[in-house]
Amino acid sequence: MSVDFWINVGVLAGIYGIFTLGLQLNAGFTGLLNFGQAGFMAIGAYSVGIFVVSWGLPLWLAFLLAVALAVAAGMLVGISALRLRSHHFAIATIGFAEIVRYTLQNAEFSGGNQGLIGFDDDWRSVNEWALSKLASVELDAYTQLPLLLAIWATFLVLLVTMELLQRTPWARVLRGIREDEDATAALGKNTFSYKLQSLGIAAALAAIAGFFVSLNITYLYPTVFDPTFTFFGYAILVLGGLGSYTGVALGSIIFWVLLEGTRLMETSLSAGQQSSLRFVIVGLSLILLSRLRPQGILGNRNELRAEP
Amino acid sequence: MATLVETGEAAIEDSTQPPRFARLPRPVILLLVLVAILCGLIAVFGPTMAAQATLNGFVAGGYIGLGAIGLTLVFGMLKVVNFAHGDLMVSGAYLTILLAWLGVPLPLGMLLAVTGTAALALATEKLVWRPLRRAGAGTLQLFLSAIGLGLVIRSTIQFFAGSQVRTLGANVVTSIAFGPLRMGTLQAVAFVVGLVAMVIVGLALRYTNIGKEMRALADNRALAEVSGINTSRIIDITWTISGCLAGLAGVLYATAIGSFNPNFGITLLLGLFAATILGGIGNAYGALVGGIVIGLSQEWSTLLFNARWKPVVGFTLLILMLLFMPQGIFGRTRRRS
Amino acid sequence: MSLLCKRSISASWSVVSILALLMGTASAQAQSLDLTIGALLESTGPLSETGPSIEKAATLAVQVANQAAKDAGIPATVTFVAADSQGDPQAALSAARTLVDKNASCILGPATTPEAISVLNGITLQRKITLWPQASSTRLRAVKDDGTIFRTVAAADLQSKALVLAIENHAGKGKNVAIIFRNEPYGDALSKTFTKDWEGRGGKVLTTVSFDPQQETFDSEAGQALADNPDAYVVIDYPETYAKLGAALVRTGKFDPRKLFVADTLSFAKVPGTIPVESINGAFGVAGSSPRGTGAYALFNKLWDEAGGAENGSYTANTFDAGILCFLSAVAAGSTEPGAIRDKVRTVSQEGARQFTIENLADAVDAAASGEPIDYVGVSGSFRFAPNGDLTTGFYDVFQYRDGKQVTVEQVNVK
Repeated sequence: MSVDFWINVGVLAGIYGIFTLGLQLNAGFTGLLNFGQAGFMAIGAYSVGIFVVSWGLPLWLAFLLAVALAVAAGMLVGISALRLRSHHFAIATIGFAEIVRYTLQNAEFSGGNQGLIGFDDDWRSVNEWALSKLASVELDAYTQLPLLLAIWATFLVLLVTMELLQRTPWARVLRGIREDEDATAALGKNTFSYKLQSLGIAAALAAIAGFFVSLNITYLYPTVFDPTFTFFGYAILVLGGLGSYTGVALGSIIFWVLLEGTRLMETSLSAGQQSSLRFVIVGLSLILLSRLRPQGILGNRNELRAEP
Repeated sequence: MATLVETGEAAIEDSTQPPRFARLPRPVILLLVLVAILCGLIAVFGPTMAAQATLNGFVAGGYIGLGAIGLTLVFGMLKVVNFAHGDLMVSGAYLTILLAWLGVPLPLGMLLAVTGTAALALATEKLVWRPLRRAGAGTLQLFLSAIGLGLVIRSTIQFFAGSQVRTLGANVVTSIAFGPLRMGTLQAVAFVVGLVAMVIVGLALRYTNIGKEMRALADNRALAEVSGINTSRIIDITWTISGCLAGLAGVLYATAIGSFNPNFGITLLLGLFAATILGGIGNAYGALVGGIVIGLSQEWSTLLFNARWKPVVGFTLLILMLLFMPQGIFGRTRRRS
Repeated sequence: MSLLCKRSISASWSVVSILALLMGTASAQAQSLDLTIGALLESTGPLSETGPSIEKAATLAVQVANQAAKDAGIPATVTFVAADSQGDPQAALSAARTLVDKNASCILGPATTPEAISVLNGITLQRKITLWPQASSTRLRAVKDDGTIFRTVAAADLQSKALVLAIENHAGKGKNVAIIFRNEPYGDALSKTFTKDWEGRGGKVLTTVSFDPQQETFDSEAGQALADNPDAYVVIDYPETYAKLGAALVRTGKFDPRKLFVADTLSFAKVPGTIPVESINGAFGVAGSSPRGTGAYALFNKLWDEAGGAENGSYTANTFDAGILCFLSAVAAGSTEPGAIRDKVRTVSQEGARQFTIENLADAVDAAASGEPIDYVGVSGSFRFAPNGDLTTGFYDVFQYRDGKQVTVEQVNVK
């Protein structure tokens, strides 16, 4: 199959890798089951669209504002729901994400059912410039290549940043919360504030991923922010291993190669049957992977037991 | 009798003393709130419209609650967030179709389909859940496997049956009239069956030996094992019952709604979880009441907003209830912290 | 297939067609035109209920095209490749890439506007591959597509006018109307345009109810729409959800199917078995019409029933026609090069040219191969493509369901 196809797989792996870094921070290191990540992603992506289309802001400024707005949404969710227990927090955040999605579909400011379009002109000019540079190495036929490079550069920078953050005293407090929140609180740490920060950072990462989604599909419509994508994120997280940021990158690549690669099966079945077979294989792989390597590919068994 | 009721009473006692709220038990508070809202709606929209919306709410809530009873059992007793539960319901519906296609008469086909779904649920325990527990999988690994399992079940059904809409051919247009009010005949049947299932499961949990052992297992698995309970047998039974209920819900849903495709389980799933959590995890009565609360609020909301906002109303209610009634309507107050 | 090889084929093919023109027959030893038609199907995901019928329509088109080529003695074969767009723009892009890798020269579908725009910008625009979406949102008009998007599905504005005329003819002018639509881009756009058009002609819209397709019951929605006893109800829905909504409408006890007017997504020769007949018998509806009468339509429905499998669904005839148009364009271009096909679409649907339907498709193939402009009149109507690739056909059939079958009542002309 063609290079273009795999570039696209790389784009998806990068976007949902960034998305899952936030879940790693929340679920893997803080013990917070954040299932609203797709909602933060939607807020990020739609804010970019709305700021550019309705307010006429340049794309880059819109992007910064969108990240800020997603963080604010993260705070709001955190302040109201962080006191809930783990499963309840999970379901409350799914609820939040669904409220966001249905609101975007039904409200006027977001373009409603007709979606949003025409926010990516700034990116297109960057894309053309990058392609003209790539022409010198004869790679300009791959139009999605600049996006791939931008996404993976961002992803790697964020990954290293998160990894460095992990070595700070701040992260040790987060782990303490995950292991035993009461004990950490007894040490005089404001655990609520730490959890809130963790959630805020995850929301920012989701918004960055959302920005790249909007550049990839060039049209904003609420179905792209379905809770399914949060579940994808958790699949990536578990595949890569809890407690490892590098595992997120690896997990994302494996997940998307599995999900998209299964399209390439050659059978004589009808299209409907072939698609069904594809998802049977994906489902079986998910079960087998969690069975054969419960700690994930790069996961640490010591981190595994420490879930809420 | 006194010993039998013991654990049950402990639960009630806990729920009657919420530390933050008024002294009233939570179900009573909820009932009062619902009645107050209903009175308000009657005052604004007149008795007919309010009553019809209420009736619709019971129907919609019944569908959710019926599906949630099986889910809440597995969630409460085995701590498995079974994302494949909706797909077990789909199995029930499609097994009925398969059997009808093979020429089995419909009532017998339905019965066999329910049994088949129970067998499938038991098979998932033997093939997926037990090995996973032995491998030491955590909550998230179980969750991922459940998603995988759901995909496998749903896609396998779709592989053979296709993704087009199917029907069992029941007459879904007849309705029962109560004065100016209408309720679909089959919908009423589905609701009554849901009610009966709930009562049977609730009573069985409280008064049978197996039920008591199940609750003991839910409270503390290690302790249950030490006290001589055959835990793997109880786990098998829990899955079988949950599968039966899923199959029953799927068959009824398919019959009363009239048309469906293999996706109906996954679209219902979030509603089922909402009902489970609203009602209190592991509580059969809670599952149905939770479903009805969601159904009522969604259908009532159509009087106030355009119907497309229905899901938003449902999810908002869910979040509010979680914030202000975190143990659910019938759930037990946790002893620790 | 390498580019070089393709070029040599198209070169030799044009030599052949010149020869054929001179001699009046197609040469038997000519090199074959191996066209691949791709389809983006909703095989899984939230819209998967529409997948099987669209897949069947596309494969039927390929079969009919192959047969016509054979009957015409033209050495052309059509291969069908499909991919699953999952109702998700990102998945649609991946799916489209697999089709392009399998040399698809045209792509039928996808079903929604978001998917179409993502596929267009991601791949087909660059390669000039024609895209034939089943989406009818006016959004698609605004995008820069370099003439690659063709829609055999009517956009909302014309259909709205046809609905207005149908209601005026069968329920009366200036009456009170209730609108119920499935909360999606299509229903949203059509209901807004219709409201404007209907009120512009002195009518009144009592209520507009939009419902979320993922709900289990629609009893409240049905009750709300019928509450004020409207003179007519406009339902913009798909068969999969109307199976539930229709039942709910009947259950209210206030429903009169003769007051029901449906949009073209609920137009079938025969009502699907999933929809309760009580909810649709007697109802009126509009659909793009075929000036040549119903011969092609009857043949299509015969082929459909003979093929077995999925029941008829929304936009199957339109998808079928898109496949045939792509095939005829390739024959006319004498090439499988996507850009060449794009440039011939209007030549095979040209106003005033000789008209053909699927009943005499082999003759159409002959004519197209000889370089003659033709007018393919489809199962879903005749095609007059505006510069933006949208239909401008003004003829609509007003039909009524009688005994579970569609009967054409009259034809209206809208501009």
